[in-house]
Amino acid sequence: MPASAAAVAGGVGTVLLGAALAGGALIYDMGGVWVSVKAKKPGGDNIRLVVPAAAGPVALWLAPKKNIREAAKEARPWLPAIKAAAEELGNCPDGPLVEVTNPHEKVLIAKQGGALVIDVDNPNETVHVSVPLKMVGIIAAQLEAMPDAEAAHGNAVEASESW
Amino acid sequence: MMKKALLTAAVVLTVGTWALAAENRWLHVKVEDGGEKAEIVRVNLPLSLAEKVLPAIHTKELNEGRVKVSEAKFKDVDLRAILEALRTAPENEFVTVESEHQNVRVAKSAGNLLVKVRNEKGKAENVEVTVPFTVVDALLSGGKDELDLLAAVRALGALGDTVLVTVNDEHSKVRIWVDSRNTAD
Repeated sequence: MPASAAAVAGGVGTVLLGAALAGGALIYDMGGVWVSVKAKKPGGDNIRLVVPAAAGPVALWLAPKKNIREAAKEARPWLPAIKAAAEELGNCPDGPLVEVTNPHEKVLIAKQGGALVIDVDNPNETVHVSVPLKMVGIIAAQLEAMPDAEAAHGNAVEASESW
Repeated sequence: MMKKALLTAAVVLTVGTWALAAENRWLHVKVEDGGEKAEIVRVNLPLSLAEKVLPAIHTKELNEGRVKVSEAKFKDVDLRAILEALRTAPENEFVTVESEHQNVRVAKSAGNLLVKVRNEKGKAENVEVTVPFTVVDALLSGGKDELDLLAAVRALGALGDTVLVTVNDEHSKVRIWVDSRNTAD
């Protein structure tokens, strides 16, 4: 292999490795969405789901635009508040935010290490959900940046009329 | 020179600690229902969260942390006028109603508006509400037809540990308070 080709291949390899490392670091930094449901009855279903938080914004990007735009339109008035809450909760110390305890059920919503954690324990099942706050903020920002359904429709009509 | 440096350090530390304490204030709600359900609910809300979230809500009733009250007359009672009258009145006991089954006391004491209700008919109930007037002032600091919730939250954050509401009856207890801890107990 000529020296120049080897240099190019080496450069491409370095860029790819760098991109992989940066992607890995991003995924590690954002953490993961954990969902665990354990049935207490014999033969009941146990579900365990771990999704890298970075997959959330990607899923939003891949999902049908029409549905996402409609959802964004519904949520739009609350998105700045959700974004602000996620950001501020990230700055707060870890601890319980809401606890409900009765003889049949225990529910805990807490902030734990950069994630919002929901634990439910009742006679039927135990549920654990953990959502990274960074992901909540990023998704809220993504939805906020989306044109709403009517505006998008209007733009599409204008574009088709201009043709 | 050394004395001056120590004094400066002490002032910086004191102001810094105070500022930190003001930032890390928590509103707590604890409801203990001792009835059939025997349920306990605890809510711990950082006031800084309310400070950040309130200005981000833009609805017809709540905008930039201010809530419109022009249409909400509270059954023909002008709440704003009452609060304004209480704020400017001297410290005193304003209302005392003593009946066979119920005692009601409304007073202004040590910079707080105090409301105490003791009900002895049917299910015995004690309600105590304390609203610091700095919070009332902050609430009324907006326009004529609005209550400034954001300013009130900031005023709450500047207070020391304060119990705002306690309700005790035969089966349940409710307590709402502000302190610098992030847990309710």
